[in-house]
Amino acid sequence: MIRALRIISSNPLSLTGLVLVLLILAAALFAPLIAPFPTHNGSVVDFAFANRPPSTRNWMGTDLVGRDIFSRILYAYRISLGLGVVVLIIAAPVGTVVGLMAGYLGGWIEAVLMRLVDVFLSIPPLVLAIAVLGVLEPTLANAMIAVTVMWWPWYARLVYSIARSEREEGYVLAAEVIGASTAHITIREILPNCLPAIITKMTLDMGFVIIIASSLSFLGLGVQPPTPDLGSMVAEGARYLPDSWWMTVFPGLAILLAVFGFNLFGDGLREILGVDE
Amino acid sequence: MKKTHLLAAAMTAATALTSPAFTQSVLRLDEVAVGELDPAKASDYADSILMFNVYDTLVLPTQGGPGSEPHLAESWEVDGATYTFNLRDDVSFQSGNPMRAADVVFSLERMQALGQGLSHLFGGVKAEAVDEHTVRFTLDEPYAPFIASLVRLPIVDQTLVEANATEDDPWGEEFLSANAAGTGAYTVSSHNPQDETVMAVSDSYFLPIDDHAPDEVRLRYSLEAATVRTLLAQGEHDIASQWLPPEVIRALAEDGAQLLTESGTGAFYIKLNTARPPLDDVNCRQALAHAFDYGTALQMVAITDDVSSGSASTGAIPVGMFGANPADEVLERDMDAAREYLADCPYAPEDWNLEISWIAEVPLEERFALLMQANFAELGISSSIETLPWALFTERVASPENTPNISQIFVNAVTGDPDTLLYGMYHSSTPGTWQSPEYLDDAEVDAALEAGRRGPGEEEREEAYSNLNDRLMELAPTIYGYDRQSVFAASNRVKVPALSDPEMAFGLDGMGFSFRLMEMVEE
Repeated sequence: MIRALRIISSNPLSLTGLVLVLLILAAALFAPLIAPFPTHNGSVVDFAFANRPPSTRNWMGTDLVGRDIFSRILYAYRISLGLGVVVLIIAAPVGTVVGLMAGYLGGWIEAVLMRLVDVFLSIPPLVLAIAVLGVLEPTLANAMIAVTVMWWPWYARLVYSIARSEREEGYVLAAEVIGASTAHITIREILPNCLPAIITKMTLDMGFVIIIASSLSFLGLGVQPPTPDLGSMVAEGARYLPDSWWMTVFPGLAILLAVFGFNLFGDGLREILGVDE
Repeated sequence: MKKTHLLAAAMTAATALTSPAFTQSVLRLDEVAVGELDPAKASDYADSILMFNVYDTLVLPTQGGPGSEPHLAESWEVDGATYTFNLRDDVSFQSGNPMRAADVVFSLERMQALGQGLSHLFGGVKAEAVDEHTVRFTLDEPYAPFIASLVRLPIVDQTLVEANATEDDPWGEEFLSANAAGTGAYTVSSHNPQDETVMAVSDSYFLPIDDHAPDEVRLRYSLEAATVRTLLAQGEHDIASQWLPPEVIRALAEDGAQLLTESGTGAFYIKLNTARPPLDDVNCRQALAHAFDYGTALQMVAITDDVSSGSASTGAIPVGMFGANPADEVLERDMDAAREYLADCPYAPEDWNLEISWIAEVPLEERFALLMQANFAELGISSSIETLPWALFTERVASPENTPNISQIFVNAVTGDPDTLLYGMYHSSTPGTWQSPEYLDDAEVDAALEAGRRGPGEEEREEAYSNLNDRLMELAPTIYGYDRQSVFAASNRVKVPALSDPEMAFGLDGMGFSFRLMEMVEE
């Protein structure tokens, strides 16, 4: 732990990442306490204050129906982070199980599973998500499903490559010799060796999931109004550029900071956990 | 010596290329896709702009006042339900074919056979060519606004269309969806209904065209508001569509753009699907109509201190038309009344989940959607907001099950007469068009609409539409948002008297976009 802190603090970029991630997490967690206009999260219109540039009342200005953009960004972080966590918590274990089985068992299981993974990886992620959302209704839950569907193969491939090389290691062979079950070997012996890579990847992916989710709602396929979402806020504001720049710039910056933060932090984490590129 | 000559010749050529006689003046404007070029299918604004420039009609609305003027017709006589028109004999189509009475008959029959666009205006009309330049219309029943409705009967070139018709396509629909066959002042150089139509001034028009009229017109479809904003500011666009959000129009005006206006023959209607629960019940609809915040809606559409896209609504019929309520009886929000109506509504408000749709190309409507969502939430009604591109919306409204509970539409009287505003929206025989997502089916409304078109005098019409207005207020198939005028931000490169001088205004939607009456000026 102390070593981890030392590594992080010796690298200003990683430290920046950590601080950004903590700030964003705090913003999302305490949104109802921090937000100057907590009700603007929902179905509220206040036309007396519509389309106002940043001021002391509204730090980031207001949107076209008079909602405080700063408050909505805080709530949008909740949605984005929540979506990211749910997606990764589903995608990572699914991918890990698939990767472990393919990597350790080999043979036709490997061939079938990894070709399936290849099929998923060959479709551009955004296109796949749009297809899934085209079939289902565009809601938050379905956006999560869509992103998860496109995300698990990356974990399968990562874990597969590690499991494959570990398969021939002495400790695995030793466990096989003493008659350990497949489940024991994969979960107790190989998986611990994959965890650092998985955790690093999850941190790095958090930023990418946020970007994909925002892209989907930018296209009108994600979270539906009046729920605030960074992507749809950018999309709505873009119509009023360049005059009402604050409607686009601040949500855009919010996306940038989140992605940037998770990426820098993920890089630091990689160093701490000693994961190779 | 020879060398000097050559040089001189070259210089002359260069000057000639840049001299005004050779400059092409280009007018650039935008509208919402799809641009329907087939005049028999024209119904919305983009279609009308195309139709009024590529085709001509027998009459035109009088500029700056009521009534109609001869256009392709020289004169006409009315005898009961029979109208006899004498046509001009000096008009030829862009193809070179002369315009004859047979073309008028063909145009009418084609429109009736296709049954799309505004063909409902000509339901019970028969036409016959008396001679080469005389055509006689016979109406099944009296239709007071018949002459006015002829502005929606574009004359197509029978010879050309029939030459391009096939057995499967007897009316040449494929040909006319991509090509022009009119007498109009502008020819079509290229046409992509989703992207752009390019038109060029015709050199064989039967009326003189001012030298300053644009030589070429580029009508682009479905540009983003921010794109139009930037293009106009950079001097690369001339007339923005009326669908720009008020903030953007205001910003453009502050940058020096002129504001063109086309005044009130229509309104902003929030249409409630009466064929599907919960809005199939009148009390549920009345609750919504009373909960809607009319005052805020008006604030939202104000552009500058003098120019607004709306004035207060007084009922189903815009102020100034037959049957309208007095201008001071404005509709106002009344939450107490809304709650009373809701108490009599058989559906529990928390179960409604109203679909509030808005047209993707009209960003202003998103705000109305949010306004309604907030207004109705005060009654405990839950709702979801749905964005529909115009093309998808017009498809969805074809069946009541697919029609959203709430649609937002700007409707104008397509001939300037209330019949063409109201008949298409509320008569039970015309459900499921973009004008009629209410699916209203009411005998009293039908009777009043029929009485209104029967006329024959202004008094009878006034009474019929007044009754209609009362009945429509009782039934509340629609929330009558505000009376509307269209506002267009435009560059100072173009002068459009028909959209800036009330004396020159046509009183007909889209007619102000007759390019031949515009003047391009050098800045």
